[in-house]
Amino acid sequence: MIITNIESIPGKKIVEHYGLVSGSTIRAKHIGRDFMAGLKNIVGGELKGYTELLQESRAQATQRMRTTAEQLGANAVINVRFSTSSVAQGAAELYVYGTAVRYE
Amino acid sequence: MGDLVFFLILLGMGYGVGTWTEKRHYRSIMEREEQLLHLPAITAKKVELDNSKVERAVLVVGSAVISVDYFKRLLAGLRNIFGGTVKSYETLLDRARREALLRMKEKAHGASMIINVRIETSTIGKRAFKGKLGSIEAIAYGTAIKMNS
Amino acid sequence: MRFIPRQSSGNVNVTKTSAIREFLILAGSLLAIILILYLILGFVIEMVIPHLSPRLEQAMAVNLLPRIVGSETDEAKSRELQPLLDRLQEHCTKLPYHCTIKVSPSPQINALALPGGTILIFSGLLDRVASENELAFVLGHEMGHFAHRDHLRGLGRGLVFMAISTALFGPHSQINKLAARFLNLTELSFSRRQETSADHFALEVLHCAYGHVGGALTFFEKLAASEHSRYNKISFFSSHPLYPERLHELQAYSRQHGFGSGKLTPLPDDL
Repeated sequence: MIITNIESIPGKKIVEHYGLVSGSTIRAKHIGRDFMAGLKNIVGGELKGYTELLQESRAQATQRMRTTAEQLGANAVINVRFSTSSVAQGAAELYVYGTAVRYE
Repeated sequence: MGDLVFFLILLGMGYGVGTWTEKRHYRSIMEREEQLLHLPAITAKKVELDNSKVERAVLVVGSAVISVDYFKRLLAGLRNIFGGTVKSYETLLDRARREALLRMKEKAHGASMIINVRIETSTIGKRAFKGKLGSIEAIAYGTAIKMNS
Repeated sequence: MRFIPRQSSGNVNVTKTSAIREFLILAGSLLAIILILYLILGFVIEMVIPHLSPRLEQAMAVNLLPRIVGSETDEAKSRELQPLLDRLQEHCTKLPYHCTIKVSPSPQINALALPGGTILIFSGLLDRVASENELAFVLGHEMGHFAHRDHLRGLGRGLVFMAISTALFGPHSQINKLAARFLNLTELSFSRRQETSADHFALEVLHCAYGHVGGALTFFEKLAASEHSRYNKISFFSSHPLYPERLHELQAYSRQHGFGSGKLTPLPDDL
């Protein structure tokens, strides 16, 4: 499944589209990570725990979108956009949406 | 003891009424989605259009604010300690977005498609400033293209 | 491109889960963790308390006492009873600090051991004391608490626990209030063991001061038979063991150590 954030798929022709598909995850970090983040606030540096968390979230959200697209019979998702919002104390939501299409 | 009983009552109310409202909302959403299935709302910008046949292009916006109940908030708080997916809030965001999309589609009377759709989510409410969840607002907007028949 | 309207089956963005089950699992794990922390805390405190110096305790008491004792104490009665306490303390105990006695004119039937060595006796209890031996028993009991540093144990664990729970959940969380309530109940059940050892200490003091323990047993027989049947409720919720239980325990201990009964010394007239 091809996922792009441009209008078309280079070198291919899009024949059908099936509408909007989306995937979202909400993840919370546990107390241990909070604590480490607090410490890092003092010394600085990359928060590896958080980076991993967000990468996993992105992967899961994208997977969900892909599953929906497959169900509709699409083989690509174009014009993909990401959106992050903080929905609860300590939890971040990652939302990805795009148009499911079929190319040939 | 009184405090504990009060707390449990709120919890029960949150769970009971919240679940019922949610089911009802989902039923309404699925009904309307079926009805509006013929109107595509896509994120793509460049669509093959016969420019002469376009009557007008207008921005349509739909938004919805959904609030969280006591039970869900408690569950999210517990989740915050242990980490993992906050499953209780998933339905919230899902409902808000789908509702916003449906309202956007409903505003586009007679349009044949809605293009360049974007969806934004944010939290509003007094508690939002303290970092706790107040309510979720979802807004969906796009350009509705009406063709000459 | 053509548009083909299709519906997707199922909702991929919502995981099918039973909210109640998730709640029970999470809440259960949290309670289990809190319990384990509590137990560990208990061990840590047991190790630290014997090393807490009496001087430090007295320093803390300067701030605590005015709030707990309140402004009404019967100074005259307190001064009268102080010599008895001094006598008992000098000859029969090895306490690391000097105890003072304060009488509060409240009708409660109770006596408290406060940080810093202050024994607070309520006049309700004082009125029921019929002989010097019985008063000596009460004083000995409170001194027993001081000797075992019981008052610090209860305070220490409760304070640290509340500190942790406040740090985790914030000062105004519901979970915090629940924890505080649950905390009080179990603290009381620990202090029952402490009460029993304080009773034993009091018996020793009595035996040392008067040669016999007659006062203690008559005192409890009196209280157990008295009209205060409200103390016969569920013993978990009251901080002292029930009077019949306590009496039994005292009798057993006396028999074990060969303490007998004897003549009671009367109280000074104006008490």
